[in-house]
Amino acid sequence: MSSTTEGQRPLLSAVGLSKYFPLETGLLASLRGDTATVKAVESVTLDVYAGQTLAVVGESGSGKSTLGRLLLRLLQPSAGQVLYQGQDIFSMKRAETRAFRRQAQIILQDPYASLNPRMRVDQIIREPLDIYGEGSKAERQKRVSDLLERVGLNRNHERAFPAELSGGQRQRVGIAAALALSPRIIIADEPTSSLDVSVQAQTLNLLSDLQRDLGLTYVFITHDLSVVQHISDRVAVMYLGKIVEEAPTETLFSEPKHPYTQVLFSAIPLPDPSRRMNWDLPKGEPPSPLNPPTGCHFHPRCPAAMSACSHTVPRFQSVGRDHGVACLLYDEEAGT
Amino acid sequence: MSLLSVRDLSTEFKSGDRWLEAVSDVAFDLQRGEILGLVGESGCGKSTIAYSVMRLLAHNARIRSGQVWLGDVNLAALDEQVLQDLRGRQISMIFQDPATALDPLFTVGHQVFETLQEHLDLEPAAARKRALELLRQLGIPAAEQRLNAYPYQFSGGMSQRIALAIAIACQPQVLIADEPTTALDVTIQAQILQLIRRLLVDEGGAGVLLITHDLGVVAQVCDRVAVMYAGKIVESGDVHSIFSNPLHPYTQALLNSLPSKGIARGRLENIQGQVPGLADRPAGCRFHPRCPQAKAVCREQAPPLKQVSARQEVACVLYD
Repeated sequence: MSSTTEGQRPLLSAVGLSKYFPLETGLLASLRGDTATVKAVESVTLDVYAGQTLAVVGESGSGKSTLGRLLLRLLQPSAGQVLYQGQDIFSMKRAETRAFRRQAQIILQDPYASLNPRMRVDQIIREPLDIYGEGSKAERQKRVSDLLERVGLNRNHERAFPAELSGGQRQRVGIAAALALSPRIIIADEPTSSLDVSVQAQTLNLLSDLQRDLGLTYVFITHDLSVVQHISDRVAVMYLGKIVEEAPTETLFSEPKHPYTQVLFSAIPLPDPSRRMNWDLPKGEPPSPLNPPTGCHFHPRCPAAMSACSHTVPRFQSVGRDHGVACLLYDEEAGT
Repeated sequence: MSLLSVRDLSTEFKSGDRWLEAVSDVAFDLQRGEILGLVGESGCGKSTIAYSVMRLLAHNARIRSGQVWLGDVNLAALDEQVLQDLRGRQISMIFQDPATALDPLFTVGHQVFETLQEHLDLEPAAARKRALELLRQLGIPAAEQRLNAYPYQFSGGMSQRIALAIAIACQPQVLIADEPTTALDVTIQAQILQLIRRLLVDEGGAGVLLITHDLGVVAQVCDRVAVMYAGKIVESGDVHSIFSNPLHPYTQALLNSLPSKGIARGRLENIQGQVPGLADRPAGCRFHPRCPQAKAVCREQAPPLKQVSARQEVACVLYD
């Protein structure tokens, strides 16, 4: 799998995508003129190419899950567009939306919360087929069996309730349901975060196999950089609603440019006691998205901050082949 | 002498009218000035060991046999009243979810004073001074104002700092940390681990039992490691030996299943099958049904933990 994107048209793109959540809604707030908002996602632009995996990485509150939901039109944006094969998904007509939803599916983090506890495994996987009226009843049941086998489960699991399955098995059911309508793109929101490492390995291998065999495109949302390196072609790093750096995976891991990306790498505990981390960590915690710092959002914690960083919003610009970063350190025109 | 010495500990849970063993014949020692990692996947019994040591087990659980020596006192057989006085003073614990570990109805200042007054018999003014000092040591900004704040006003990382302040307020000899950074972001995780290392171990000379499923955390902060599978310790030793020369097939499989630097975009190794539940743990070596190197004898004989080198112990017939 290559991360070369030249000459290819993206399958899915976000263009200047923003989502602001109002803090207070209702009559009183509007009478008071209370319009405080949380800027969960702010002017995000990115491209996802067919057959590839784009990882979106960030810590709690970085807006990565909100971005994932916007990409599937599960939320309405405050500004910007999401283009699927060149068409804006937010201005699609009903029938077009329905067609889009067949092709774009989601896998959620918590397989305990995301499966209906009162439905049996075969019903859960068959539901999308029923909704879209795929084939005859017998054909749908056959498809369910095929899907179960595809994700490494078997007929014995068909009549089970989610409570009878382990976390790893439940996540497989979630994956089978996402695959039911043969989508082209899957947004996977922390699909292995609640799994033990050995089960995580099984699940990541399954996702890789499916991508290879079915030509799937993934947007993989995660906080875990070791998983990112394993599964993705490209990586976008988010901090407080913005993409601060984007690059092919190898480039990002070998030459991280943004000070936040560097900090994030230095804080990952590597499973190698002979390479212990230096404990020279950024002070403080990510600021509240309610009241983000002016200028570059990262400047109060940044080890390389300059005076301009507190009032100049850095532009996202190219620093190499396919490699972009939003930081004044790499902007020759700014900072003066 | 070890700070904490656990001998032949078995703990069981009631399920219907049966008692099921969660921890079986576990033994380990914790020395002064070291962090011992207790590592394993969900359901292996690592947290049950922590709760057994602290005698904080739920009503449906009990220690069936074994001793927990804190110096020359056996906590497993100690009167509850006496134990109450030791907890928080000589042996403390912090938990995975810092938000639920604090009482939502009291200010964090109150919760820190309470521990100080209960155990150290300090005057209110002295307790307040010490509390402030603790919060500052733990890197809590504007400590004076924060003493009057309630837990809901704190982030996860700040709540864990408060919990840690309470746990180390009386300078205990032993800290048990049960997945203390699992709920936190990586940059905050690194800060908390650094605090534990610096304040307790390097400066305080205490011993820390760090319970975690995260092998990266183990590699970065632990001096020694004990690996658990299905209620038993299968291997233990110093952290460098375990990571560079894992002996038990389970330890090997666990380390190989990690997606880490250097093996980008290959297949991850995985362990066939699943961890058995409490009710269906197999006879013999508990790992044998999933072990790629299992022999006939593994089905019948449970191998004991044996010293195989100066720095490593393993429970596996391959090393007999």
